[in-house]
Formats: sequence, C-alpha cells, structure tokens
Amino acid sequence: MFEILSTVFKYIFIIIIYYFVYAIIRLIYLDISTTTHTGKKLSGKNPYLKLINRRETLNFRVDESYFLDEEKTLGRSNKNEICIKDPFLSGEHAAFLRNKDVWYVSDLGSKNGTYVNDEKIDATPYELTDGDTVHLGQLNFIFVDVREV
Amino acid sequence: MKENKKALRVLAAVCVLFLSLIGYLTYFEVFLKESVVANPYNKRHWEYTNDKLRGSIYDRDGELLAYSEGKGAQQVRIYPYEGLYSHVIGYYSIIYGNSFLESAYQKELSGNTPLGNVTDIKNKLTGQDSYGYNLQLTIDHTLQKKAYELLKGRNGAIVAINPSTGEILAMADNPVFDTNESDLVENWSSLLESDDSPFLSRSIQGLYAPGSTYKIITAAAAIENGYEDYSFEDKGSVIIDGMTIKNFGSKSYGFLDISKAFALSSNTYFASLGVSLGERALKASAENFGLNKKLPFEISVTQSTFPYKNMSQTELAAAAIGQGQILATPLQMGMVASTIANGGIMMEPHLVKRITDINKNTLYSSSAKAFQTAISPETAEKISAMMVDAVESGTGKNAKISGISTAGKTGTAQNEKSGTDGGSEHAWFVGFAPADEPEIAVAVILEYDGSTGGSSAAPIAKSLMEFWLK
Amino acid sequence: MDSIYNVYKPFRMVMFFNVLAFTLMFLHEDKKDFITLAWGIGIILLIFGVYVLIKWRHWGDEYLFLISSMLVSIGLMMIYRLDPDIGKRQIVWFAGGASLFLLSYLIFNLMPMWNSKKLYYIYPAASFLLFTLTLAYGRRIGGAINWLSIAGINIQPLEVIKLLFIFFTASYYKHRESLKALSLKIKGNDFRIKSIYIYGVLSYIHMGFLVLQREWGGALLFFLIYFTLLYIFESNLKFMLANVFFAGAGSLGGILFLSHIQTRIDIWLNPWADISGKGYQITQSLFAIGSGGFFGTGIGLGSPELIPEVHTDFIFSAICEEMGIFGGTGVILLYLLLVYRGIKISLKINDIFYKALALGISIMIGFQTFIIIGGVVKMIPLTGITLPFISYGGSSLISSFIALGILQAISSGKSIQMEETHEGE
Repeated sequence: MFEILSTVFKYIFIIIIYYFVYAIIRLIYLDISTTTHTGKKLSGKNPYLKLINRRETLNFRVDESYFLDEEKTLGRSNKNEICIKDPFLSGEHAAFLRNKDVWYVSDLGSKNGTYVNDEKIDATPYELTDGDTVHLGQLNFIFVDVREV
Repeated sequence: MKENKKALRVLAAVCVLFLSLIGYLTYFEVFLKESVVANPYNKRHWEYTNDKLRGSIYDRDGELLAYSEGKGAQQVRIYPYEGLYSHVIGYYSIIYGNSFLESAYQKELSGNTPLGNVTDIKNKLTGQDSYGYNLQLTIDHTLQKKAYELLKGRNGAIVAINPSTGEILAMADNPVFDTNESDLVENWSSLLESDDSPFLSRSIQGLYAPGSTYKIITAAAAIENGYEDYSFEDKGSVIIDGMTIKNFGSKSYGFLDISKAFALSSNTYFASLGVSLGERALKASAENFGLNKKLPFEISVTQSTFPYKNMSQTELAAAAIGQGQILATPLQMGMVASTIANGGIMMEPHLVKRITDINKNTLYSSSAKAFQTAISPETAEKISAMMVDAVESGTGKNAKISGISTAGKTGTAQNEKSGTDGGSEHAWFVGFAPADEPEIAVAVILEYDGSTGGSSAAPIAKSLMEFWLK
Repeated sequence: MDSIYNVYKPFRMVMFFNVLAFTLMFLHEDKKDFITLAWGIGIILLIFGVYVLIKWRHWGDEYLFLISSMLVSIGLMMIYRLDPDIGKRQIVWFAGGASLFLLSYLIFNLMPMWNSKKLYYIYPAASFLLFTLTLAYGRRIGGAINWLSIAGINIQPLEVIKLLFIFFTASYYKHRESLKALSLKIKGNDFRIKSIYIYGVLSYIHMGFLVLQREWGGALLFFLIYFTLLYIFESNLKFMLANVFFAGAGSLGGILFLSHIQTRIDIWLNPWADISGKGYQITQSLFAIGSGGFFGTGIGLGSPELIPEVHTDFIFSAICEEMGIFGGTGVILLYLLLVYRGIKISLKINDIFYKALALGISIMIGFQTFIIIGGVVKMIPLTGITLPFISYGGSSLISSFIALGILQAISSGKSIQMEETHEGE
C-alpha cells in the first residue's frame, strides 16, 4: 500500500517542485520583460500614470508607467489603448480624457469600480492633479504631472 | 553602474556553476551510473533481494545443489555439497558478495527482473510471498561427484561436455572450498593466503600450456592446408634454428606419416610440420578452434591465447607442439575435443538448462547453438580416426574402454616449473567416446603432476567416460 | 487589494507539498502515529503565518521566504523519513529559524547602526575570538574541529562567523578609509599601508583559522565570498591579480604539503581504490544517486540510510536516491532562484554597505550549495559543509534564516534610502 502510494507521490512531488520553479520564473520573466518597456523616458512633457504595485507580485504583464499623450481608455480588452490583462479589470474599465491641459478620468461602468484617492468615481470625468492615486482592479497608479503650468 | 554590471556577471557565473552541476548529474545518470551501481559494495543489492526468498539451483536431474532458508534479511544460503560447486555455482554471502553463477544470475535468482517486479506488486497486493527464480543446470551431479573423486585431491580440473549440444556435464576442479557462509567466515583469511589459489576456477580461469593435446589443432591445420601427406624421419630430436626439440624420453621413431606421428605424439615431426605450415595456417587454425576469442559462456571464461605475431622458426616449432606462449583453459581444450566429436562444429558451451519460477513455469530454456565451424566434417573424421589410433595403439592406451571405441590425445606440458627436469609437467588428456557416436567429450589436467598425460590423466578420463556411458 | 487569486499559486504549491509529504510520513511509520500529522500541520501553519505576515505587512520580497520554505519542506520530509525523532527536532529548529528570520528582519530595520564605524572592528574581533575559542575548546567531529559547546548547547561557530565576515566585508567597502587611519596609528607615520591590504590580511586570517581547523570547505567558501566581493567592488586590478596568485600558491602548497588535502584529492580522483575505507562515504553517496535513476525510488523506498552522515552533508544524495535526478535538479534550480532574487535585490540598492551585504549573503548561499552538491556527486573534491536550509542542524538552519532575514530587511528598503535605479538615470 505504502509502496504504491509513494511511487505515485514521487511523480507528484517532482511536478510540484517544477511547477513551483516554473511559477516563480514566470513571474520573474514578466518582471524583466516589462522593465524593457520603460524605454520611453520621462523626458516628454506629458503626464503619466506610474505603477505603485510591485510588478513581480502581479501575474500579468504591466508596464512601469503609461504616458498620457492622447486620450486613452484602459481595460482588459485589446481594443483599449492601455490594455492590461488584470482579471479584476473590466473589458473597458476607465477612460483618461483631456480638456486643454487638464486631464480627467472617468469610469466606463466597470464592475469593480475606479477609485481616485480612495474615492469611488463614476462616469463623470474627475479632474486629476499631480500625485493623485488611481486604483483600478489590482492596480495602483500615481498620476504624475510634472509640466510647467 | 559598474558594480551592478559585475554583480550580473557573478550571477551568470553562479548560473554556469549550477548548470554544470545539473549537467554532471545527468551525465552521471546516463553514462556512469550502471557500472557504479553494479559495484558489489553497493549494499542495496542485498536490501532488494532480502524481500524474496532466493531461488534454488538444481542439477539436470533435479538434484538440489543450492537453496535458501529463512525469511527476509535472515535468509541463509545452503550448499548441501559444500565445496563441490565452489567454482560453478560459487557463493552468495552478505559479507563477501557473490561469485560465478550466483553472481551471473543474481537478477534471476533474486527475482529482480522486469517481469519479477510486476508479479512482485501482485503478490504484495494479494499478500503472498515472493520468490526468486530457480536455475536448472546442465551439470549431472553424479558425474560431477565422480569427477571430483577421480582427482583424488590432486590440483587440476576436469571438464565434461556433451559434444552435440555444448552442455557442460561436469566441471570439477581442485582445490575447492566450502561455500556455506559460516565456513566462509571461518576460512576466509586462510583461503586468501593459501598458495594453492583456491578461488581460481581452474576449468575456466586456469591458463596452461596445452602441450601435445594441441597437436589436434596442428594436425587439423595440416590436413586443411594440404600437408596431409607430410612425412619426416624422426631421429628423436631435431634442431630448428639452433633450438633442439626432443621427443618424450628422446625416443626415435624413424619414418613417420601424420597418423603415426599423432599416435606416438612425435614432437620432432610436428615441430618441423609447424615450420612448414607457417604462421598464417597455424594461427588461423588456432582461431578456428576458439583461441584468441571470447567464449560465450554464462560465467566469464579467461581467454585462451595464441599470442604470436611475426613468428620465428623456433616459435613456429614450439607452437605446433603446444608449447611456447600458447595458453589454454581446460574448458577450451574440452571444446577442441568436443568439436572433433561434433564433426568440426564448435557448439556454444553452457551451464544453465532452464530457468523456472516457483510454479515450475519455464521462463527460459537453453538450446544447442553453434559457436563457429572449426574444420570441415572430413577433416574432423580424419582427426577422429587419428585420435582413436592414439588410444588404441599410441600414447593414450590407458584411456581404452573395453567394448567402446574411444578417441583421445595425451599431453605432457612443460611449464615454468619444469625447466630443469624438475618433473612437474602438466598431465593432459582430451578425448571423447564412443568415437563413432560421441556422447561425452572430456578434458583432464593434473597441474604440475610430473607424470605423463598417458599414465595419469588418461585413466581418469577413461573412468569418467565409462561412468557416463554405463 | 492584492491578488489572492494569482499570487498564491507558488505558495499553494508549498502547502500542497507539505500536506502530501506528511501524509506519506504518517503512512510510512509502522505504528501509525498521529503526532506526525500534528507536526505536519504545525509546519503548514508556520509557513502560512510567516508568509501572510510578509505579504500583508509589505515586508519586502516575498519570494525569498517562499523559495526557502520549499527547500526546508523538501529537507524536512527527507530527514523525517530517515529518522522521525531527528525530523521533529529539525521542525523545532525550523520554528526557531523562522522566528529568528522575523526577528532579524525587525532588528535590522529598527537599528540602522550595523554599518557604523564603531562596529566595524567588532566584526573581525568577534570572529577571531570565536575561532580561538573553537580551537581551544572545540570538539573534533569527523576530521574538523568545528563544534563549540556553550551551556550544553552545541553550536558550529563557523555558521556565525560566515555572517560576521560578510558584515565586516560590507563595512570595509563602505568605509575604506577608516581602516587606513587605524593602520597609521599602529605603524607610525612612516608607513602608509593601503587599507585594502589590511582588509586582505584580515580576511586571510579568517581562512587561516579555518585551515587550522581543517575546515577545507569553509576556507574555500570564505575565499570565494572574499574574492567575488573584491571583484565587484575593487577596481585595483593589480591587487586582484596578487590575490589570484596568493590563493593559487596557497592551494598548491596545500596540495603538495598537507597530507589531508592530498588524501581528499586522491579520494576524489579514485574513490574505488579504498572503497571500504577513505572512499566509503563518497562511494555510498554515488550508489545512492545511481540507484535513484531519473525519478527516484520513491520516498521511503530507497536505502539512503546506508550513507554515513546522510542527515547533514549527504542529504542531497538521499534526495537524489528517493526523488531522482529530476528531484535533485529541482532543488538546484530552487537555489538558483534564491541566489537570483538576492542579487536582484542588491542591484536596486545604491548604498554600498547594504549592496555588499545583500550580495555577500546571496553568493554565500550559492557557493555553499555548489561546494557541497559538487562534492557529494564527485564533481569536485568533497569537503564537509552543510546544504543551506536542507541539511539537518540547528546552527546551519538558524544562521541561514538570520541571513535570509537580513536579505529580507534589505529588500524592504525600510532602513535604506533605496533609490529606484532604473529611473532618473
């Protein structure tokens, strides 16, 4: 009885160890592959969203920062300009809008909601100022605006 | 940052080190493991076999030669005939490891075969005990016992073969030692120190100059190479390239043909025949009879050798009469006799007739297989007739069995101890009977015996063949 | 809100592994003892507790503990399978190690004085004191004098000194010049000995002590740590070459004149020559590894107990026998990940002290693993040293966890002004 169980378990143990190694390597890989995407440095005049999460804790690809050079929508679906495969995001989750030099964020009716400075917002565009935190799905961003006003 | 770049290089170096560990482990697993694990010091062999009762070993008629008693790790191996099979079956000891058939059939006897492992799991599930497989040998226990008795305590070996199948009927030698574990423990150190080499299986590991028994091979070379009618005036001695070759007792026999020279075992005739035949013919004939070749056998046989290259005339002369550097095992010479008996075809020798499981189902059964063709049937017939003459009227008279025609060849081989008339030549006899329908071929050697093969080895061969045929 | 769904996957694997392992251990015993299952639950709760604490309190890198707890789990299963009593003791040590892991994290973060110039001389002084005590009062076990009995508890001073040496090295690279000041006072104004030479000499004294104790593995480990950090932080190429030369001459001298080293090398080249004597350990280890094959015999079905010192130095051979070459390779990969995480953490730090500390700890784990695994598989000569996190032994496990706690503290960045190096440059 023990022999048969142990013979089966030995394969399971090996699968567990390798799966564990694989899971960690995968997370590390996501980490590295996104690091290379921060090539566009912050020299531009545009504001950007900076990720606060430790990226290696997230199980999907996400960049360190997203530049707001034009109006963009954010969500899980590929149609969005900012597409992040976070399962806690809705297909079309939020939109970043511009009126002259002022940036706004509005929720597109997402399931889990969009929060600015821990306050839930709705479809009404909400004005963003430098240092605001934007929370959607599992993601925490800081809105950084270093433009000379 | 400079430090970061260097730190990444260090990381790369660590990666290389670790990957080389993995590489080495894999290399070990694929290429080195097999020989490592097979090492007799690996106690896992014992751990494994402890689960099952080790298989028994029987002779061809079902006589029990080795069996195990007890359970699990408390198993004891019992050899009822003490040392009689110490160089055939060998020993199986927790302390000293295993030897001969106990070692060669370790997997089967312990049941550690792929099939065995499957039945093993089945038995474990059903709660039955597991057993190793049993071996049935080709050896005939009464013949083996007779052979051992005929040696009368003298150092030497006797091999008896069924010429048409290659079955070993007896393989006895002396000295032997009791292979039961308790006796091994008691005698181990004195066995190790003994000058008589008791661990040596003389039949298959002892290398001896074949002496005049080798004239069978030289005669075969002559007949197959058109020297059948070679004749020579024997004056008792002949000088070849400065070396004097004498007949036994320096007797001179006058004009000789090959048959007469063979029966009288004339050294001068065969020495000059060897010079005429030349290296290529002698060597080819030796190899046709299995010298310089690895004999297929269940337990490892020391290779008999014809080690010459670019032979001088004296070397040709010495080789033709089985002296010089030619060395052969008793099994090898038994095979030579058995090949003549079998019409020139050398059969593969074997010891194991059958492997059975505990329920007597046969897992393996041996069959007669030809090893190689040494000579044509016509040549074999001619040599057979010469060997009958040698027993009828030549040096092998002592091997004559009344009512049965017997073929044979004697040999008195000089060796490293007999340089100065020391009287310690090896006494040889090889032969078979009945000559027209051979049932048994034998090789007998009494090492450093000092007498001639005709006077001491031939009577042993006679008694043994007589015993077998009656 | 953290991702409960995703991030927990590797963590679940550790839990799952322990559940299976202790179920198997329970069934392995002849008389089924429910205490075994209780110990198993204890481990699972312990790992769970520490992991959750790290996650929820954002105590820096979470992989360090995750990977090491996987390694500990594998080791615990092997040790428990070899001898349940020793296994239980090791579980207690693991609990102690995990507590000290958290404690060293807190202490290191709360008291940012580890790199102060005052402590700087204390590190080597403490090391030399421990070395001297070991030589004077130590017990010789298996060829090396490496045990010290303090109040009835046996400790291996080497495990402590390893950390002291890394702290010393890190302090040196932080305050190179103050070591020079010391030299001036001692040698007078006429001499100006470069600080690096003093550091070098002090480091070699460490190794000298280890050679006196016949801790060849320890000496090799110290040299590798010393030389690697020298390579990273020192730009003086001449000094580096001098070190290579010195070490080369030292080891050549050792091979030529020290019979103990010669013996080790002879055994390495041909262990089969003296299979029942000096080559016994390594050949038994090779038998075990060979018997396992690719997938192993299965836990409890091999015979690793035939290897001497299987709990400590030869635990890797036992893993290879029962979990196979694949299991062994998995363990090596886990160590590789651990070293990678450590070096990764060090890359983000600008402060030399913390950077050197993180690097030192990471490569210590890496080299120690290589030395002992390479030894038991006969790739390099065998020198007795423990396998971090897996080998049985309180000193080894606790010092490994303290080192990990420090690495964890560095990764949290709470005691350091950590700058994100990939930005702003």
